Amino acid sequence: MAAIEVHDLTKRFGPVTAVDHLGFEVGAGTVTGFLGPNGAGKTTTLRMLLGLVEPTEGSALIGGRPYRDLPEPLHRVGAVLEASGAYPGRTARNHLRAQALLGRVPPARVDEVLDLVSLTGAADRRVGGFSLGMRQRLGLATALLCDPEVLVLDEPANGLDPEGVRWLRDLLRRLGGEGRTVLVSSHILAEVAQSVDSVVILDRGHLVAHSDLAELTARAQGKLRIRTPMAEKLQALLTAHGATAVLVGPNWVEVTGGTAEEVGLLAAEQAIPIFEASTEGLGLEEVFFQLTDAAAAKESTR
Amino acid sequence: MTRLARAEWFKLRTMRTGYGLLATSAVLTALFASLEASRAGGRTSGVAPLFTASGLQTVTTVTGWSMMFAAVVGVVLASGEFRHYTATLTYLATPDRGRVLVAKTVASALAGGVFGLVSALVATGVGLVFVAGHGYHVALGTGALVAHIAGAAVGAALFGAVGTGLGSLLRSQLAGVITVFVWALVVESLIGGLFTSVRPYLPYTAATTLAGIKLGGAAFGPAHGLSGGSPLPFAAAAALVLGLVVLLDAIAIGTTLHRDVT
Repeated sequence: MAAIEVHDLTKRFGPVTAVDHLGFEVGAGTVTGFLGPNGAGKTTTLRMLLGLVEPTEGSALIGGRPYRDLPEPLHRVGAVLEASGAYPGRTARNHLRAQALLGRVPPARVDEVLDLVSLTGAADRRVGGFSLGMRQRLGLATALLCDPEVLVLDEPANGLDPEGVRWLRDLLRRLGGEGRTVLVSSHILAEVAQSVDSVVILDRGHLVAHSDLAELTARAQGKLRIRTPMAEKLQALLTAHGATAVLVGPNWVEVTGGTAEEVGLLAAEQAIPIFEASTEGLGLEEVFFQLTDAAAAKESTR
Repeated sequence: MTRLARAEWFKLRTMRTGYGLLATSAVLTALFASLEASRAGGRTSGVAPLFTASGLQTVTTVTGWSMMFAAVVGVVLASGEFRHYTATLTYLATPDRGRVLVAKTVASALAGGVFGLVSALVATGVGLVFVAGHGYHVALGTGALVAHIAGAAVGAALFGAVGTGLGSLLRSQLAGVITVFVWALVVESLIGGLFTSVRPYLPYTAATTLAGIKLGGAAFGPAHGLSGGSPLPFAAAAALVLGLVVLLDAIAIGTTLHRDVT
């Protein structure tokens, strides 16, 4: 069942089309990366999903309803949209207490979420003195305050140092493990690649790809190089099974169109020893760029 | 609604700006009340001696500043959401933006009531200190003093609510604050000075008359102390300012409040 549904969603700001007939679904209990370069329309899409921006056309639903129609929305959806979305003169604890009042959660929950994002020590400091990373953590604490089943996070890794990014990855994994639905945007695939189940890739307002991370990883694998004393026999075997195999040295075969697991199993069946296997992949990031560059090229030829 | 208003009241209580504005309002009230008390009884001052009810009332009702600063608090509570990008969080918690505005109006009115109360107590204190210093008897009865204090609280509460409507409509804190002071200090002084028959119907002037301030008493420049016309009855003056609150809120709900929050 889809927790988030986006149908034919379009937003125009005057002559600029920020989001163009976008459609995708996010399954309940999945962690989905919402990716695209800066200016792709990610933030506008998320704001339409959360009822903050009125779509020009189409709809964006959470649990089958527009956000504005959700009863007790803070208990259904937690969101991080703006790193600076806090009054600078207010302490972190009071910032959360104001939201706790709105969400009808006990004050003790404020301490719990402060602890969860490692801000207990800074709880009584004014937000104006926080670093960008601390503000992001406070934003996450705010989103988690009412223990929502859906989380919408817009570039939560912005401003986090490498340790913070690792902390965020662990948090996303933990949230996914708890069965929550998470839609997390980023313009850097690597930031979220280790935490997401699937990806929605957007460029210039258009959907470029919507796939499982495994599919994207498969695309990224590229060529496989195998070292074996029976190179010719392995080449013939793989060719017979539909892969493209080329001899590139006395003991080396280069394979495309097959995974390391598939090649390994076939070789084992025929008792072909494999001494070494390595992938010469494009890398996920390159696949991401290929997809968005292709979309850009398509756009420029229109 | 109670929950929303409580949350908005909590936001106000945890904003340092509010305390700064309250202190400024109290200091200005003390200063201007002292000035009026010093001038009382002077030949060219236009202020009656402090041993008269009229003279003492001029001093104990110097509460106009609290109404302006209450409006500023309302502006800050409403427009600050856009200045600090907190509107996102507020509307995520309560997608019905009209309800948010009503809650803010209630909280600002409450804060305005406090401003009016503090200011009236300060002005009354200054008046009584000067009276005691001169060894006069207190020419105003307790009933009148209490009525003026309560009126100041009502006037400032209504102007706090006006500020919220204005802040929601303009969405710019600076523009809202400038509008409050220019309107109260310049526009009403000018219109009220030129057309004394219209004066009781000007919103800031109407709010000040709730606190027992004489017509022209809260004006600046040549219009200050200018006599002429009669203040509106209490209920009519309150209804007039309340009507402005409703009008500003309705316009804000119909226009700016439904803009995209980007």
